[in-house]
Amino acid sequence: MIKVEKVTKDYTVGQTKVHALRGVSLGIEKGEFLSIAGPSGSGKTTLLNLIGCLDKATSGEIYIAGEAVSTKNKKQLALLRRKHLGFVFQSFNLIPVLSAYENVSFALSLLGVNGAQIKKRTYDLLEEVGLKGMETRLPGELSGGQQQRVAVARALIKEPDMVLADEPTANLDSDTGHEILDLMVALNKKHGTTFVFSTHDQMVMDYARRLVKLHDGEITSDERTGS
Amino acid sequence: MSFLLSLAFKNLSRYRRRTMITAGALAVGLIFFIFMDGWLQGAERESERNIIWYESGSAKVMTSEYLDDLKTMPLKHAIENPDAVEQVLEGTGVTTTRRTVFAGEIFYGEGSLYVKVVAVDPQTDGKIYRLSETVAEGRYLEPDEQGVVLGEWLAQDLGIQVGEEITIRTRTRYGAFQTFDLIVVGVLNSPNPMINKGTAFIPLSLADELLEMEGAVTELTLYFPEWQNPESKIQSLQDRLSVLPGLTVESWKDLARDFLMIAQAKSAGSGILLVLVFIIAAVGISNTMLMAVYERVREIGMMRAMGMKDGAIRTTFLFEAGGIGLIGAVIGVGLGVVINWLMVTRGIDMTALMGQMDIGYRVTGIFYAAWHPQAIVGGFVFGVIAAMLFSIIPSSRALKMEITDCLRYE
Repeated sequence: MIKVEKVTKDYTVGQTKVHALRGVSLGIEKGEFLSIAGPSGSGKTTLLNLIGCLDKATSGEIYIAGEAVSTKNKKQLALLRRKHLGFVFQSFNLIPVLSAYENVSFALSLLGVNGAQIKKRTYDLLEEVGLKGMETRLPGELSGGQQQRVAVARALIKEPDMVLADEPTANLDSDTGHEILDLMVALNKKHGTTFVFSTHDQMVMDYARRLVKLHDGEITSDERTGS
Repeated sequence: MSFLLSLAFKNLSRYRRRTMITAGALAVGLIFFIFMDGWLQGAERESERNIIWYESGSAKVMTSEYLDDLKTMPLKHAIENPDAVEQVLEGTGVTTTRRTVFAGEIFYGEGSLYVKVVAVDPQTDGKIYRLSETVAEGRYLEPDEQGVVLGEWLAQDLGIQVGEEITIRTRTRYGAFQTFDLIVVGVLNSPNPMINKGTAFIPLSLADELLEMEGAVTELTLYFPEWQNPESKIQSLQDRLSVLPGLTVESWKDLARDFLMIAQAKSAGSGILLVLVFIIAAVGISNTMLMAVYERVREIGMMRAMGMKDGAIRTTFLFEAGGIGLIGAVIGVGLGVVINWLMVTRGIDMTALMGQMDIGYRVTGIFYAAWHPQAIVGGFVFGVIAAMLFSIIPSSRALKMEITDCLRYE
């Protein structure tokens, strides 16, 4: 489904060149529950951004469903993200003036789905993530865990091929982190959606069925844990 | 699109205070614009009317020599045969009255003042001029009487009362000194300050006799209904008068050139002032949108990550700024119209100011505004559109950032 081939990513910070990724190769299959782990500066977020078509590689190639990402222009990438990818961010990134319902349905409205469909799918999914009865609440009226549930629902509502989650539990306490991860596991199993996390949290690593470890921009291990 | 509109509307309430302050700045600009524009329009329209009714009629016929030396008003360049002029103008739809205008010095008590003396035919003057309706004290002139009517401010400057006697010294048509005593029969308080300031009115028959005019007059005032656009009428009258050489027809616009130039300059000055007001409003809106954009960079990053097009994000900010513009425009135009209505119905009493200084407008006392719907509608539309335009630069800046930079933005 996703193929990362000898990808490098260099940044220039001031006058210093930083090699964030040094020839990373990786294959991700449909339905995987994969965690990219490593310490700060190891390149895990950079790799996640490249897989999510949010950034461009310095060299190498990424294929999504057989198509090379580097050949696509800005608009095509936006379309690809809109249809096939979902994102969950560390700090939730919900729109504070929109209700839980509106934050989730917004992702569907981008796809031009009709109003009745949007309503049904959004209510169903909010119920599935445990937010029934909280549809009209604004993010400020929800706990951190509830906000991240909204973010997960927003990522899943359009039934993407893959959800990319950057440190999804970093802003949550341990119990809430478990809740979110349990939810993601359940959704992965139910919908067959691929989940790819970046994390340095052992708890997240423990949930992953495949653990890719990065260090200084290189993959140091790639294990299937089978949990 | 409805989602973008709804998001923009909700974002307006997100920074309620900032939205209201910015909309308030725009509203103040619009109020000022409508107030100034209505005031200037009113002053100009009233001035034009007061020039026609009290100063020059629609046009004047005079000799070219008299026109060339209008400041000294030389009687030797009078129209010799006003009957012939009136005959030529018959059937042209023009109303006429005769006047002789000359310079004189008024003596009263120990003081004296140089004034413009206008000799009028009390029987026909009222067909064009409305001086008789502006008598503040005493009465208007009667034919052949040994009386004079003074402008109110002139009477005040001289310290003279109705019933008292003044002496006027001038020169006759042939250059000889002539002095005559007249009783002040009335004082005029005209809406045209030129009348109140330094003009004395006497009967034409008296001037004819004392100045040895022998039936000649310095001008024939004309009135025709097409006075607002007099050019073609003036041309046709001039063509008819070509049988009487040496005569010229001057429209009120030519005769009141000083007013028109001042009005034009004032409009331009006010225009600059209005531009400044709108720049202030523009800076306010740009600043508000800039703050809104930078406070939402991560949100913008999230929306772009989810595949929302840059154009749609820019549209959200356009709608948001348009919303601020709409609030400002509704408040500004609403209050501006109320203020203008007060100015149209009640006006502002400028009596004290106008007595002391000449601001060019032929208005005394109460300045009334006029309705100028184009300016009101234009101000409203401009307010909304300008607000939307001022949001483009800030939103474009954020959209130039990489998505990953947006998501990292603190």
